[in-house]
This record gives sequence, structure tokens and C-alpha cells, in this order.
Amino acid sequence: MQNMFNKAIWEPPFIQPHKIGEINKFGRRAAKDNICDTVFGVPVKLLVEKYGSPVFVTSEKQIRENVRRVKRAFERRYGNVIHGWSYKTNYTSAICNIMHQEGSWAEVVSEFEYEKARLLGVPGERIIFNGPNKSKAILERAIAEGARIHVDHLEELHTIESIAIARGSVVPVTLRLNFDTGYTEPWSRFGFNIESGQAYLAAKLVALSPHLKLTGLHSHIGTFILEPRAYAEQVRIMCKFMRELEGNENIQIESLDIGGGFPSNNALKGVYLPPEQSIPAISDYVNAVTSALMEGTQYRRESNRPLPQLIFESGRAMVDDAQMLLTSVVGTKRLADGRRACVLDGGANLLFTSYWYNHLIKLTSEIDGPVEETVLYGPLCMNIDVVRHSIHLPPLKHGDILAVHCVGAYNNTQWMQFIEYRPNVVLVHEDGESSIIRKAEDLSVMTQQDCLPSHLQIPFLDIGRNGRINKIASVGQIEAVS
Amino acid sequence: MEDATVSSPCRPERLQKLAVSDTGFVFDPQTGQSFTLNSTGLMSLNLLKKGTTVENTAACLAREYGVSVEVASSSLEAFLVQFGRYL
Amino acid sequence: MTIIARKTNWRFANVAVTGINARTENPGPGMAVARCIRECPEFRGRVIGLGYDALDAGLYARELCAASFLIPYPSLGEKALLARILQIHEQMGLDVIIPCLDAEIPNFNRIKPALAKLGIKMLIPSRDQFNLRAKDHLSAFCKSIDVNVPESKIVSDPSFFDTCEADGWQYPLVVKGIFYDAGIAYSPYDAKTIFGRLVSQWGYPALVQKMVYGDEFDLTAVGDGKGNLLAPLMMRKRALTDKGKAWAGVTVLDQGIEEMANKIVKALMWCGPLEVEVMKTDDGKIYLIEINPRFPSWIYLSHAAGRNLPVTVLKLLDNECNFDFPPAKTGKFFIRHAQELIVELIDFESVLITGSLAEIPERWIQEGSGYAEHV
Repeated sequence: MQNMFNKAIWEPPFIQPHKIGEINKFGRRAAKDNICDTVFGVPVKLLVEKYGSPVFVTSEKQIRENVRRVKRAFERRYGNVIHGWSYKTNYTSAICNIMHQEGSWAEVVSEFEYEKARLLGVPGERIIFNGPNKSKAILERAIAEGARIHVDHLEELHTIESIAIARGSVVPVTLRLNFDTGYTEPWSRFGFNIESGQAYLAAKLVALSPHLKLTGLHSHIGTFILEPRAYAEQVRIMCKFMRELEGNENIQIESLDIGGGFPSNNALKGVYLPPEQSIPAISDYVNAVTSALMEGTQYRRESNRPLPQLIFESGRAMVDDAQMLLTSVVGTKRLADGRRACVLDGGANLLFTSYWYNHLIKLTSEIDGPVEETVLYGPLCMNIDVVRHSIHLPPLKHGDILAVHCVGAYNNTQWMQFIEYRPNVVLVHEDGESSIIRKAEDLSVMTQQDCLPSHLQIPFLDIGRNGRINKIASVGQIEAVS
Repeated sequence: MEDATVSSPCRPERLQKLAVSDTGFVFDPQTGQSFTLNSTGLMSLNLLKKGTTVENTAACLAREYGVSVEVASSSLEAFLVQFGRYL
Repeated sequence: MTIIARKTNWRFANVAVTGINARTENPGPGMAVARCIRECPEFRGRVIGLGYDALDAGLYARELCAASFLIPYPSLGEKALLARILQIHEQMGLDVIIPCLDAEIPNFNRIKPALAKLGIKMLIPSRDQFNLRAKDHLSAFCKSIDVNVPESKIVSDPSFFDTCEADGWQYPLVVKGIFYDAGIAYSPYDAKTIFGRLVSQWGYPALVQKMVYGDEFDLTAVGDGKGNLLAPLMMRKRALTDKGKAWAGVTVLDQGIEEMANKIVKALMWCGPLEVEVMKTDDGKIYLIEINPRFPSWIYLSHAAGRNLPVTVLKLLDNECNFDFPPAKTGKFFIRHAQELIVELIDFESVLITGSLAEIPERWIQEGSGYAEHV
């Protein structure tokens, strides 16, 4: 047997006790296919030199391909389909505009997101306005601009009616529904519940109001749904409800919005098998939805009526694999239990999703030395800042760069501003050029919203603005000093 | 630091009893626990078992791996502290 | 480096077997499969054990396994598995692999074409077959072929167990992991404890199943992939461990159970070994409890009953099966017992350090290292 140690590499002497039940050295990824020295076609070194570390790198090509693929699949099987780009997934302006250029509408859930979509030039008629907290002011604007309003609760319905009365017009509304598909835990806090009769009540109230018109039904069954049959059941229940309404009231539903929740190719914590086996193909979801939809709308075809428009609000499946985070090692250590650990310059502050994914993380250059279980920590002074609790890596050193895959969804929106500046977000254009699409933060960004009252203009009362130390006798002399 | 075994937390007779394989596999017949050593750990333990002083062991490490004696000897001390916890 | 596909008759094949873990309360089927093959008088080949943990007993069972290797856990995916199988193939020359654990079937399915190119054969269910009989699809599948199945539900939020009685889910209930393991819950507290244990090991979701009372029977057989159930063998469980596993059983013949298994295999066009677990109630109704995509751990009984199923797999893969199976002998009992396997330190080291146990690495034994006396 050959010596398995490379003698040239210094590592402090170390002894590791064997823990029974945790011994399988072949739980280690072969180093060769664990290296990516380019991301989206651009050398990692170049990107870090140009844009610093950490840096988010986004692929325009990948986003466009993702949207086209899913949309085409739906269109081929159903025809009348709209994709609402879920702003909350990633509302970096450039990314939103890529989506809009692909024909996707804006799906927004708050006043801020609504205003952002309008600022980008999205017309009201192409905005789907969801969310449980819409102020009267933003509802007035959205109604005036012709946005599709998805109603979450009765109070909102009353507000919309009062706006409609004031405008002297009829406002079309969509009701958000919730119900049990039997596959996922129902999100009963959003919208109106079908089983309890709340949804029927809301529909009845809309039908009774001369100022409101029920034109759409919407529901969102959850997030990262691994079971395509859940969507088939969702569509069945929605179609059944639609048919009941149309039978009892003078209502014609024009659109069915099935929300989002399709998974990306990420390794969800708590799922035993790797993503390539646990995550169904997107076509499985499309087939589940469209088959159930064709069945559920058969009554329309029989009576020669138009089919409802299908809206889906997929976010994660469109953008997750189109962004990576490059992050550098700033320090290494041995933990008390013998494991290796590394501190990275990007952590949970940038990767909110590291709480629920075991992200695929690759080396960006060849690194020698024995592969060992390693913990990857972020830069925060908080114990929760862990990028990966356990990953098998060779000995890393200061300056080594890691590529964290599939980070495009929910990080550029849920990242937290805590003690660190948020870094550049870069786009690799379709022609291979790159540019910044969100500038790294600096001190002025972080302080521009701060306001200092006049008596708090200076930190130390005994140091003047000129930096010189003033003699003061007591706090009563403040004014004299400033 | 005179003699490795005097100042080290690992007593000499304890080190002698350890079964150490070329692969870095270590078995402690007193506790039944087994361990894996890294390459520097293996070299250090083999030298110490032969009665080499901590000082000389550190010097050997420094020579073999091209690091300074200071780095080698402080690492070795840390190693012995760690080792001592297991024995 | 080129790896040449071996061409060999099943009698001289190198057969790799997984699932050679043997914790006394819940052993994997691998060692029993190896035993069936080794005790077939015509077999002159080698059995190679593939394990996941240094304490998988089969790794050290030299009377069964000519060599043994650690392979990466299923959760690490197919690439890692293929790379490791290639290494082993290079060293041993593999002809057949018999996967014996549920969770590894998806991985083996994905690498099946690559292995076929190397001449390594497997008789395993396809992805669709595997999925259709999975615990979370079983109810729907059984309804589609008119087979009785206890009512079950997928649970991903443990708060279900607090309110489930109001919705018709009365305790005791069976809580099941998505791949393995189950427990009987008599209260919400029990249920949540079992749920927590199951999801922490096998991931989300878990399943809850209504209790059905009766006698437990198991059927094992091989599906030929064309809708035929080959060499079925039935066993009535006679004694159960705390975990509900049979530690004693006896071969029987029950037409109703065989018909149900036939229906299943026909509907799925099942390919490979399977185990059908059923419950027969006092009024003679048969409920399907589970379909496992592999041999059961009591498979050695098949050798005793005159229908050596693992060898049937080898013959099928070689197109040498004559489909003329002798009648299964009824009244053959098994009693599972625990026995200690003695493991030499050097073998343990070999598994820990090299991940394999193929030959005694004499070079490790050095004079004066204090090591020789232990080996």
C-alpha cells in the first residue's frame, strides 16, 4: 500500500478519534469533478479581480432559457398561459427586466414591489397584485392603473369596494383560496378557505356588490413542492370550486392562478436523496397541472365557452440555478471535536437559503491534501452563521475561492444587512460580457437613512468637530462646545 | 522542556502501549478507542514513542515539512495537549 | 485505463451484494442473500460485500464475502456511487450487483446504463416502478388495481397528531418513515416522538397509517419485468421484535396472497426482487401493507424451501432460468438469532483506512511498532 500522505504539505499534527456510525471515507466527493474554475463561462479569478469577493454572479442566458423552457411546456399543453414573475424571489431590476423581456408579468406582494414594477415601466395591466397587506392608497393606485388585484381577506374586499364606489366603476377581483390538497400542509393563513365556506362567502359578497366583479381564482399551495400530484389536486379543487360558483351565481371566471412553489435543483435539508433523484422534472409538474386543467374545464368546452387563462407564478425554478456566489476563505481552524472549519467572507448574511438548503459548493482551483469533513462558517459574529454544517473538502487556505451554486432565489431579497456591506451582484450577459447589476454597498448607503438630532451631532462632547479636545466643565456647556 | 515525556501530558508508558500503524491508524488497547493521525501526527507519535524529545521531534517536523522550528514546536505542544485528552 | 467487460457464466460470476448491515434488531438482507448464493452447490464464483459503515458485519464475514468494500451513502448521489463501483470493478471484476436496500435503488437505476456497458448486470425495478410502490404513492396505486390497503396520509407537520382524532384518525396509529422504519403511536406525544425520529433519519415527509389487526404474512418473489411473478414464497410471521420485525416465521401457501402479488407484479411489470407485506384480518380480508423493492432479510428461508431466489436472479440475468420452479416447501421455520462475529484489528483498520477488506496488507505490520502483537 502506498503512503497516502503527501509529505510536502504542512499541517499541524492532529489526531482524530473514530466515532462509530460515522465512518465512511467514501462519503467524499472525488476532487476532480468538484472544481469549477469558470462560472457561466467566465473565469472565477477574473470575476473576483474585477468585482471583489464575495460576489453574486448571475447568468442572463440561464434565466432566459429557464423561462422559455417552462413557458413553452405550459403553452404546448394548454395554450393560454401567463407567467407572473415573482418579484420577491429576486427583484434586482436587471433580473426583473430580463423576465419582462421574456413576456413575464410582474407578480408583486407589497406596496414596495408594486412601485418597483411601475418604476421599471411595467404597465398596471401586467401586474398581479398579491399579498396580505395592501394599503388603501396603493390599492387606489393599482385599481386606477388596471392591475389585477388578488384579495386576501374580507377587510381588503371592503376597501376595494369602497374605492370602486368612489370611482363609480366596477373593479374586477381575483380571490385567493386555500384548501387541503392532501399532499402538503395547507397554508390556511392566506386567502379564503374553501372547506370552511369562507371562500364561498367571499365569492357571494363579490357577486352581490354592483361595484365588484369576480374574474379570477388564485391559490398557492406552498413552496418547494416535491410532489407534482399536489398540483393536479390543487387544480382539480379550484376547477370544482369554479364550476360550483359558475353554476350558482352569474359569474364567469377568466383566469386561474396556480401560484408557484416548483422546486429548483437544490438539496433541501431534511430530504434524504440528492436533488437529482428527489426532484421531479419540471415537465412532470406541467403535465400534472395541464392534465387536471383539461379535465376540470371540460364542462366549458362542452358548452363552447372559452377556457380560463392559466397563470403561474414560478420564481425559484426560474432563477435559482442562474446565480452563484463566489466567496473566499479568510481563516481556517480545527474545532474541539476534530473537524476542520473555515471562515468565509460570505455567510448567512448573503445566503439566507443556507438555513434550508445544503448548497452545492465547489472548489474553483485544484487543492492538494486529504479530503476531510469541514464546517463552513460565514463572517458574522453569530453562531447561526453556518454555510454548510458538513462538507468534504481538501485543506483550504486563506484566499481560496469557493463557488456556491443555485443561490438565485430568495437571497438577493432576503439577505440581511447585519454588520457587513452587501457585495456586488454581477450579470454575465448573453455575449459573455459582464457588468454590475447591483452595486456593492458602502458607508454612504448604510448611513443615508440615518438622521441625527442636533444634540447628537457629535459622539464625544469633549472633542469638537475639528477633532481637537475642548475643555468642558459639565454637560450644561454642550451648546458652547458645538 | 527537558524530556518529552516529562513535560508532555502523555505519559511515556501510555504512548508505548499504543498500536500505531503506518496508515495513521492508532489503537489504544487500554480504552479500546481507535484514531486516525494525519501525516505530521503520525511522524510525531512515532518519534515520541521511540523516546525522542519534544524538542527534537519538533526539529524533525520542521526539517521534513519546511516550516520554522517555532511553528513546529508550538503545533506539537498543541498536539500533545489534544492527545492527552484522549488518553 | 481500460476496463474490459467480463463475460462469464453465472456459476463463476463475481456477485456484489449490498445491505450487509446486520444490527440484531433490524438486519439488512445482504448477508442472507450472500448466504443463499454461497450455498447453491453449482455456484463457484465470488460474493463481494458492499457496505456503508465500518460496523456492517458482512464486511468481515469472510465465509460469505471473498472481499468487501465501503460504498458512499445513497444521499451522496449517483456520481459518487459510480466512481466507487468503477474502482471496485477494476479491482475485482464485477458481473452482477444485487442491491438490497430501498434507498439505494434510485442511484443504481441512474447508473445502470453505465454499468451495463461494463458488463455489470442488475435486476432492479425502473424509476417508475420504484416510485409507484413507494409509501406515499401506495394508496393510489392499490386503489387503481383494487387491492385493499389501510388508509394512510402523508404528514409533514407534526401538529397533525394533536388534532387528527377529530378528523377520524384514532390512536393507535402507525407512523412510517418515507424509506424505512415505523412505530406504533398510542398518543399524540408518541406520534410526534416517532415522527421526529423518522424525519431526522429519512427526511420529510412521514406517513401515518390506520391500524389493521390480523396475522402478518410476507411474500417474496422475483418479477421478470414482463408481468410474471416468479418463484413466490410466503411466510407467516410467528414472532415479532419490538420494531415489528419477524424474528421467527414459517413458510406457508396462501392462494389469496399469491393472487394479490400477481396482480401487483402484473400491474407494475415489476422487474427484480420484491417483498410484499400483508395483513390478513380475522374475516379473511387481505390488506397490503408495503411493497419493498428488494429481498427481505429472511430470504435465506427461500433456500431452505427449495426456491433459492437470489440464485434465480443470477439465472434470469444469464437467461438461464427454466421457469420450472419446484413447489415451495411449507412448514420450514426460521428463528433469527444473534451471533458475534470476531473481527481482527487489522481487518477493522483496513476497512477504516482503505474502505475495503480484500487482502491482508502485511506491509502495515512493522517490527517494534507495537502493532504486530495486535494482529
